Amino acid sequence: MRGFEVAEALREGLKEGLREASVVKPGRVKVVVEGGFHRRAVEALKARFGELHVFSIVGADRGGGLELTYNLWLYGPRVHVMLKTSLPKEGPEVETITDLVPGATLYEREVYEMLGVRFKGHPNLARLFLPEGWPEGLYPLRKEVKLEELERCLA
Amino acid sequence: MSCIDLVVGPQHPALHESERFTFKVEGEVVVDVEPRLGYIHRGIEKALERRSIVQGLYLAERVCGICNVAHSLCYSQAMEDVCGVEPPERAKYLRVIAHELNRIHSHLLLLGVAGELIGFMTLFMLLWRDREVVMDLFERFTGNRVNSAYNVVGGVRRDLDDSLARDLEKAMDSLSGKMRGYRKVFMEDPTVRARAVGVGALSRHKAVELCAVGPTARGSGVRADVREYRPYAAYEGLDFHPVVYEEGDVWARLMVRVDEVLEAAELVKQCLRKMPSGQLRARAPRFIPAGEGFSVVEAPRGDLNYHVYGRGAVTPDRVKIRTPTYANIPALCEMLKGGYVADIPASLVSIDPCFACTDRLAVVDVGTGRRWTTTIYELAGRAR
Repeated sequence: MRGFEVAEALREGLKEGLREASVVKPGRVKVVVEGGFHRRAVEALKARFGELHVFSIVGADRGGGLELTYNLWLYGPRVHVMLKTSLPKEGPEVETITDLVPGATLYEREVYEMLGVRFKGHPNLARLFLPEGWPEGLYPLRKEVKLEELERCLA
Repeated sequence: MSCIDLVVGPQHPALHESERFTFKVEGEVVVDVEPRLGYIHRGIEKALERRSIVQGLYLAERVCGICNVAHSLCYSQAMEDVCGVEPPERAKYLRVIAHELNRIHSHLLLLGVAGELIGFMTLFMLLWRDREVVMDLFERFTGNRVNSAYNVVGGVRRDLDDSLARDLEKAMDSLSGKMRGYRKVFMEDPTVRARAVGVGALSRHKAVELCAVGPTARGSGVRADVREYRPYAAYEGLDFHPVVYEEGDVWARLMVRVDEVLEAAELVKQCLRKMPSGQLRARAPRFIPAGEGFSVVEAPRGDLNYHVYGRGAVTPDRVKIRTPTYANIPALCEMLKGGYVADIPASLVSIDPCFACTDRLAVVDVGTGRRWTTTIYELAGRAR
């Protein structure tokens, strides 16, 4: 099945930092890494398969904690990698990948302002979508933030 | 020479969304660009968390009017992925027809606008005249000119009869003939060449590094077309060739679209010939099971992707939408750097943002604090 060689390469490249690397569908690999190992995973993929495209960086509030998903596409083997890492809801912080993939700049800024994840080493972690004067610490895509509250802030 | 901040936007600086660009200019040369997005951020991702599969479909389609088929298709495929539903074969071909007609109308619209911005009004009028033919066919096919509500989770909403199939085939032939004529204009006309060749350069290396998508990437020699590298709907069974140009300038990005209209017309004809008979839709569940769905399609402007989290309820837990214009912003900033102020409209139009007729921009001279406004057309006028 398309994707096995990618899962294999990540197992070799990451070893202890890897929680899961499995081919969930033909051409789609789900990878779960320990905190801080997502950079190593991106580096390993770039070194082994060359050009890499970021489809999106998805931040999701899963109730108990936050989950980051880096949807990556490898042009060489034509495989979609869902690279996942979990973060606590209190003070979530993670290393940037913008030095490895400059195209991720805006995606990281979006996750930062929508969910409050700080990307260490990002060249310009400023607001992207939300208006100036938006209250500090109010992250619209967090589950505890209700629509009524957002409406109040926008009024 | 000292730098001046030139603020373009936020009210439609010739862009899809109202966006603001702050250009640092030295004389006539742009040295740096800082984008500020979000002026029409509507909170659709949050709103989708409170909507069922069917309600969400209508909202997703309204993310973008021009490429609405791409949005409803991508949303449907992501939901089908998480729910484990497979649409019938005939529906897949019908989806491709709607998708490609949508691409033709979107590309003709952009090429016309490009003609207008470079001061070639005749080209604009001719291209938009021919676009009407596609819009009329689209109305007969889906029931509406623009927001078609054609795709549903599990399939499509209506079928194609023989008389419409014949008319579609005829229209695609005549459109291809006309398009070959326009292709010659884009290839040879001195007005087009003077304003587009060598303007807004984006190297192949930068296009990949900045994750550019669609015609923007393909105009810089990156062979990246979702229809080829990750086929969806019926593309696997169709004979399809991605259009790639190596030059990396505004001209190359426009030429990609000219050739893609020809390619799209061929795809529609192929679908009409190869389409099997059968059901139009599979039954979709009302509950979205726990799990994840992902879909990516080649929208007219590049790859568009949806990522859905289900939680075993009527509403999804999270829907993430990544639109192609958003992905192309870093590449756009790269194109503008080092170019002339007068080339800003040409570079903007080459990534295919949407235009509104009230485009206005404010020019601020930081040295004196003097502030005045002008329209994008006046700015374009300086370039003629």
